[in-house]
This record gives sequence, C-alpha cells and structure tokens, in this order.
Amino acid sequence: MSYASHADLGGKPGCGAIVPEPAGELFHDAWEPRVLALTLAMGATGAWNIDMSRAARETLPDYAELSYYRIWLAALEKLLQERGLVLPDEIAAGHSLRSALPIARVLAAADVARTLATGTPTQRPATASARFSVGQRVRMRDGPFPHHTRLPSYAWRKRGSIERLHGMHVFADAHARGDGEQPQWLYTVSFDGVELWADASARGVTISIDAWEPYLEPA
Amino acid sequence: EIRVLDSTAEIRYLVIPQRPAGSQGLDEEALAALVTRDSMIGAGLALAPAAAR
Repeated sequence: MSYASHADLGGKPGCGAIVPEPAGELFHDAWEPRVLALTLAMGATGAWNIDMSRAARETLPDYAELSYYRIWLAALEKLLQERGLVLPDEIAAGHSLRSALPIARVLAAADVARTLATGTPTQRPATASARFSVGQRVRMRDGPFPHHTRLPSYAWRKRGSIERLHGMHVFADAHARGDGEQPQWLYTVSFDGVELWADASARGVTISIDAWEPYLEPA
Repeated sequence: EIRVLDSTAEIRYLVIPQRPAGSQGLDEEALAALVTRDSMIGAGLALAPAAAR
C-alpha cells in the first residue's frame, strides 16, 4: 500500500501534551489568513473537492513538521500543480509566468459571506434503505486503506453500537479518489473506551465517530 | 460518564454550555459574553458572571 495518512493520529503515543491556543487568537502571523482565503477561493472554483483537499494535506511527507496553515499552503500548491493550474516555476518565482487556465467558477468578494454561510452540505436524498439500525452492534472494517478514508485507525476492527442515523451523505473515500459522490448512509457509532484502549481507558468513557456504511460489518 | 466525540466527525457539532450559576436575569448580550470557545467544544465551562469582562 503506497497511501499513508499522516493525520491519523488519534490514540497514537508520542504526540505530546495538547497545548490549547489562547482563546480569541485565530492566526499566528499575517500570512495565515491569506492562505485560508486562497484555499477557500480555490475550493470555490470546483477544481477539486474538500475530500481531495484532505487527501492532499494528509499525504504531505513533512506533515509532522508543518504548522496548520503551512499544511494548508503546501496542499494548495500540490493541488494546483497536479492540475496544471500553477506550474513549479511559478511557485518558485512567486508570480504567474503564463496565462491562467480557465476555471469553472470565480468567487467574487461580494459573495464570500453568503457562500460561506451556505457552506457545502453533504447530505443527499436517500436512495436506499439503511443497512443498520439504532442499537445494532457493528464491527469496523480493518485497514490500512490505499486511499483517503475517514475511519481512524484506532477504530479498525473495533466493535461498537449504532447510536444515530444521519441519512445519506457524500462518501468521502470515493469523492477523494475522483469517483463521484457515491452517497452512503452515515451513522454515529459509539464505542466503550475499554474496547478501544483496553487498560489505558478510564471506566465510563464512550467515544463516538461518524462512519459511512461501507466502514461497517454486523458484529 | 464521559462522552468523547471525535472532532473529525462528518456531522459537526457544538456543545451548548450549561448556564452558569448567578446568570439568571442576564440578557442575550450579557449571556453571550460568558460563552467561551472551550465551553462550546466541551473542554471547559462557561464563565461565571463575575469573571466576565
């Protein structure tokens, strides 16, 4: 398997203590909001989808050394270059060296607030019955996966219970591969902490994830 | 009981903070001043009225 997500950090040792950022401090430096704006503006063109963005970020070789917005910037450059929208010599030069390729949509400044408020909802009409029901015992599939997935490795092969059904949603795994939305039923699955962490878990801890139907098997 | 919600959940959520003691009678604006980032992600409590600026 050549695909490795460096963002799959849940439950992994060696990441150190969590140091909360001071409340109200959104950015560390003036360039960070520019990267946020560039990323959102390019996302709005339809050149890629959010699941492709996440795949681009999590596969950055130096992910562990980069800050949050450096990850966004590096992934943005990767996504642009993959599509020939920006070429490596232009990244190096810091400005465009040739005419821009056409893109499907340009987000105008006057439309930003409305566009962000609308967001990109992922729910789609239900076209099939849900395979699992609330309370049902399920087991997560086993990894690793040769593509972007939202099933964290701490849950691979673990058993939990269906807590809630969310309707059908764009399936991240397929969407990231460029295979279309392929909506699947989405569930909240709850696990006992002991099932996930054994003796390392405190008693009385329940951990929940959102899992699309292809992640699940009957337990 | 401790509930942990993985923050990468597809359906995003926020926690409605428990109303702090002594906040009865405060209007919406005053109540909003007591709400913190941490109280909306389940990592802290909302401010007590005396502690808010």
